[in-house]
Amino acid sequence: MSLTIVPLQPIERGQLYVMHARGAVTAFVLIVSAIIAEVVFADELPVRGAIAGAALLVGIWLAVIAPPRRWRHWGYAFTGSELHVGYGWWTRVHTIVPVVRVQHIDVAQGPFERGFGVARLMLHTAGTDETVVILPGVTRATAEEIRDAIRERIGSAA
Amino acid sequence: MSDGEARRVHPATIAIGLVKSAPSTLLALPAMLAFGGEFGIVKVVLLTLVGLAAMAFFTWLGWWHATYRLTDDEFVIEGGVLHRSRRSIPLERVQDVSIEQKPLARLFGLALVRIETGGGDKDEATLDSVTLAEAHRLRLALRRAPVAASAEAPVEAEVGQRLFAMSLGRVLLYGLFNFSLVWLAAIFAGLQAIDGVVEFDWQELVGIAGREVRSHLTLATGVTVLGLALVLGVVAGLVRTLAREYGFRLDARDGRFRRIRGLLTRSEVVIVKARIQLALVHRRTVSGRLGWRSLEFQTLGGSDDSSGRQEMAPFARDDEVERVIAAAGLPQFEADALTPVSRGHVLRAALRHGLPVLAVFAVAGAFLPLLWLGLLLVPVPVGLALLQRRRHRYGLRETSAQVTRGVLSQRDWIVPYSAIQTISVRRSWLQRRLGLATVAIDSAGAKGWHRPDIADVAAPIAAELARELVARV
Repeated sequence: MSLTIVPLQPIERGQLYVMHARGAVTAFVLIVSAIIAEVVFADELPVRGAIAGAALLVGIWLAVIAPPRRWRHWGYAFTGSELHVGYGWWTRVHTIVPVVRVQHIDVAQGPFERGFGVARLMLHTAGTDETVVILPGVTRATAEEIRDAIRERIGSAA
Repeated sequence: MSDGEARRVHPATIAIGLVKSAPSTLLALPAMLAFGGEFGIVKVVLLTLVGLAAMAFFTWLGWWHATYRLTDDEFVIEGGVLHRSRRSIPLERVQDVSIEQKPLARLFGLALVRIETGGGDKDEATLDSVTLAEAHRLRLALRRAPVAASAEAPVEAEVGQRLFAMSLGRVLLYGLFNFSLVWLAAIFAGLQAIDGVVEFDWQELVGIAGREVRSHLTLATGVTVLGLALVLGVVAGLVRTLAREYGFRLDARDGRFRRIRGLLTRSEVVIVKARIQLALVHRRTVSGRLGWRSLEFQTLGGSDDSSGRQEMAPFARDDEVERVIAAAGLPQFEADALTPVSRGHVLRAALRHGLPVLAVFAVAGAFLPLLWLGLLLVPVPVGLALLQRRRHRYGLRETSAQVTRGVLSQRDWIVPYSAIQTISVRRSWLQRRLGLATVAIDSAGAKGWHRPDIADVAAPIAAELARELVARV
C-alpha cells in the first residue's frame, strides 16, 4: 500500500551519480584494506580470497546496487508553507517541516555534488531527532529558490 | 546598591575547592609513603606541605582572577590565570537564574548560581559559589525585578502561589515504591572498589560465607537472605528518595515555576512557562495502579533531572497533576476522547517482542535442551502485546495532540500544536506489509528514549493525521 501525503517530485539524476561516486570511494577503501588483510593473513585463512571476496561483494552493493534503490525513494515537495522530504528504501520516511519552524537554512555543495551539478538544502529546526532535515539532489537554483521563499516567510512572520 | 563594579565569588570557595580535591590527594599518599623509606619521613612531610601550599596558592590565584560584574544591560563573568576568558550575557537574554546548594556549600551558607540563557544546561554560565543572600540579590537583579529589599528579606518576598508540595509522609511513601535492587548492586560494586584499596580479603570472606551457607543451607536461611536483600532494597530506595525529594515544593508566580527540593543538596530550579514544550504524565507499574502519577515538563534546553525533563510533581494524585498542568496553561489530558491505533499494532508488537524471545530460547535450547523450557516465557511478551492496542491511543484535540502508550508503565503525552517542530511518517518493511505507518512528532528539548509517537495506524489515516497536524502547527 502506498502512502501519499502530497505527491513528491523526484530529485535530480545528478544525485544518483553522486551516490554512485560516494559508494565507489567507500568500496575502494574497503577493498584495498581487505586485499592488505588478505596478504597479511594469507596463511591463516580457510579459503583463499575469503576476506577480499566478502569485501568485493559489499563493495558492489555499495557502489552499484544500493545507490539506485536509495535514489529512487528520494522525493520532495515545497508547498510554500511546508517542505516535504521523502526517503528510505527499507524504512520509508516522509518528513514534513513547517516553514514557520525553520530556525536557519544552509545550501551546501560537496566536491562530487559540484561535479554533477546538484546541491543540498538543509533546514535546521529546534527539534531533537530531526534537528536538521536534509534535501539532497536538487539543482543549486532550486535550492536557492526554496531557501529564499522560506527566508521571506520567516522574515515576514518575525 | 553599587553595581557595575567587579565582585569575586565567596572566599570560602577556595576551602571548598581544596576539600573537594582532597580525595585525589589522599590517593597519592601511599605512593608518598613508599618514597618515605628512601627519603626519610620528614622530607616527605615537607614535600607534602609544599605541594598543599602550592595547590592552595593556585586555587587562590584562580579565585582572585575570577570576577563577575553586573552592569545596566549585561552580566560579565571573567576568569582564568593564563588563558583569560570573558563572557558577557545581555540581560535580555537571561531566561532565569537557578540556585543550588550542595552539602559542603550549605555548611558555609553558600550557593551555586546558574544563569540560564536557553543554550542547554551544559553551557550555561555559573557562579560557584556566592552567599545565599548574594544569590537571591543577583536573581532579583538579573530578572530586572525591582531590587527593593536586597540582602535582608530574600526568600519570603518572592513566594508565589503554592501549587504542589510533598509532606515527609508522602516522600517516604514514594520512597517505598522506589525500591531498587540496582542500588544494592551499586553498594556491592562500591565494596569491591574499597576492597581494592584497603586490601580487604573479600574473596576469602565470600569463601567462608559460601562454606557456611552450604553447611547450613536450609529453606529458612535462604528466605532470610532473600528477605534481607529485599529490606536493603527498600531502605536504599527510601534513603535515595528522601535525599532527593525531601521538602519538595512547587510555586508559581509571574509566568515561572519555582521548584525547591533536596535534603543534602538543596536545589532550587526555576522553570519559565514560555519555555515549556509539552507535558508527560507517567503512571508507574505498581504505584500507578494505586492512583499515583508523576508529572514532567519537557522544556527548551532540557533539564538536569534524570529523565531529561523537569520533574514538576514526582508523586501526585490526579487533581494535583491537573492543577499544575492548568497553571502551566496547557490543556488537560482527555483520555476518553482518544482513539486506539490499528489492530495491526497488536500483531506487530507480538512479532517484535515475541520473536526475539522465541529465537533466543530456540537457539539456546539446541545447545542445552533444558533451555527449551524458556519457550514457555514466549506467551508473556505476546500477552502484553495483546494489551498494547487498548493502551495506545491518540487524538488531535483543540490545542494539543495527545498520545497515551504503555501497558505496564503508562505514559500520557500532551503536546501543544505550537511545540511541534517536524512531523515524520515512517513505514518499516513489516509495517508496509501490514499497511501500517508510524507518525513521529518531533519537539524541542526531548531527551531519553520516549517520544510522543503514534505507532501503527493504518497508512491512509497516518497520511491524514500528518496533514491535519501540519495544518494546525
